Amino acid sequence: MNIKRMTVLALLTSLALIIFVVELQMPPIAPIPGMKIGFANIVTVYAVYKFNARECALLLLSRILLGCLLAGNMISLIYSLSGGALCLAGMLLLHKVIDKKHMWVCSILGAVLHNIGQTVAALALMQTAAVLSYFPFLTAVGCVAGLFTGICAQLVVDRIDLSD
Amino acid sequence: MFERGSEMKKLLCIFAAAITFLFTGCASEPAKRSFFAMDTYITVTAYGDNAENAVKDSEQLVLSLEKLWSVTYPESEISKINTANGKAVKVSEKTAEIISFSKNMNAYTGGSLDISVYPLVKEWGFTGDSFHVPAQEKISELLSRVDAQSISVNENTVTLKKDMMIDLGAVAKGYACDLLAEQLKNSGVKSAIIDLGGNIRTVGKKTDGSLWKVGLRSPESDDLFGTLTLGEGAVATSGGYERYFEADGKRYCHIIDPETGCPAESGLLSVSVISPEGKLSDALSTALFVCGADKARELWKKLGGFDYIAVTDKHEVLVTSGAADVFELDVSCSDWKVTVVV
Amino acid sequence: MIRSQKFWIAVCAVIFAVSVIACVIILTRPHGSKVIIKQDGRVVMTLDLDRESDRTVEFVYEGRKNVLEIKNGGVRMLSADCPDHVCVHTGWLRSGIPIVCLPNKLTVEFADSEEDAVAR
Repeated sequence: MNIKRMTVLALLTSLALIIFVVELQMPPIAPIPGMKIGFANIVTVYAVYKFNARECALLLLSRILLGCLLAGNMISLIYSLSGGALCLAGMLLLHKVIDKKHMWVCSILGAVLHNIGQTVAALALMQTAAVLSYFPFLTAVGCVAGLFTGICAQLVVDRIDLSD
Repeated sequence: MFERGSEMKKLLCIFAAAITFLFTGCASEPAKRSFFAMDTYITVTAYGDNAENAVKDSEQLVLSLEKLWSVTYPESEISKINTANGKAVKVSEKTAEIISFSKNMNAYTGGSLDISVYPLVKEWGFTGDSFHVPAQEKISELLSRVDAQSISVNENTVTLKKDMMIDLGAVAKGYACDLLAEQLKNSGVKSAIIDLGGNIRTVGKKTDGSLWKVGLRSPESDDLFGTLTLGEGAVATSGGYERYFEADGKRYCHIIDPETGCPAESGLLSVSVISPEGKLSDALSTALFVCGADKARELWKKLGGFDYIAVTDKHEVLVTSGAADVFELDVSCSDWKVTVVV
Repeated sequence: MIRSQKFWIAVCAVIFAVSVIACVIILTRPHGSKVIIKQDGRVVMTLDLDRESDRTVEFVYEGRKNVLEIKNGGVRMLSADCPDHVCVHTGWLRSGIPIVCLPNKLTVEFADSEEDAVAR
């Protein structure tokens, strides 16, 4: 990876980080743990359509680690990692078949995968099926949030080209 | 960005359908009312269109029954009967019915159920808090006043022999359940479940057609020892584990054996009766608890029309054949032996 | 993998529709009054809301406290030593939606799937 690309990735990481931290200051949208719009995902979705898999993984991992450090909340690290990993893996696969004009579709499916990852982690940690009853709510809101962040990324992807 | 027309339309349709679903969901919320009456806690849960009004009426009905039947309320019809000193007392139809029913049950159960044991209940201290073990002479003396067959019910008048006193504790709750169920049905309710201080009465099946799951409280712990799965019917449990006192290391429960004048000691920890009527379940659960496992089986074979689940003091669960299919032992009691009574 | 864009759009639509319906079903299910409280996967307490008098209950996990309030036959998280307080914002316990404090591994839920009543 050349310096330019690395710099660009670092820029994107910072961008995602700032969005992430700002979103943390917002009041929760619903009384369900883990429910949020996930604005920082705009950067992730954009990266999936502009960079290769390794670079995306680097971007996401750095953002999650730094984000949890800045937020002072290491417990959420596990949830962010499991949700983020599944989401990214899914989107990287899907972007091979979903074209740029339909990035929002890829984003929605990524959001759903993120929720699945989080729920599985919660199941493993809490060892109670109670968390399963949150899943439909997370998914319903996740679809809408994914649509929104996907559209944002889509609007940006052709207007701003940070890759080589 | 969106391909003209079709995908957008599809999404909008789903949105619209979802919102419609949200509103239709509102109907299946049950109407539930919980209140204190008849010296216990009562919850009436009803489903359907008129359910909300129906459960409000339920509270009124039970409160009115309490005014008629409470032995501690001086103006109640029962109190008037108990203080009439041998004179005839005019009562309402419901009161005459329930006393008449109790008299019949006394005959059917060979005396195991007797609503005139009240003087003994009082003597042992179960009406207040001053528990004590009475002297044998006192018990014998009070036993002479126990004779359900001598209660005279004529049209709507009730006459007790002098010195006799009655108390509807063994049948009132079950009877109230039946009256509540009738009232709910008259209000158009097709699915409901009544929990009257532990007496359970169901109306119809659940709204989705499935059967009710009624737990049976364990006589030994706060948990359940088993579950019943049933449609419309009544379940009542009698046991010595809720109201009792201990003296000299021995436990005395509040259910008095009309034959001995002392708290029942039949080797059973609890008896649950399933039948179509609350009053039958209530009366029989008391009677069977008093008479013990062998006589209970005899009564079951002789009378029919009900089933029971009895827990012996050796943790053996006796289930009559009619209840074997609907009874399920709880996992926490998997070491208890279940025997089907035939 | 399927290349048709329409196919993936349809997949999204179906996922969304199904999740919304599931939400509606969960929200409209009736519940009993038995409440099960679990911490770290084990049942630490059960409540019968019909019989409880108004009071508060404290749970401590790794030095962090959760305070549960029982009032008028309802239960809710009054306060919690956790970063997000989602559990507190959940409000009064409703059918199908448990109160969960993820950092403290505490869950409070109705025992929905069990009996409709208990004969006693």
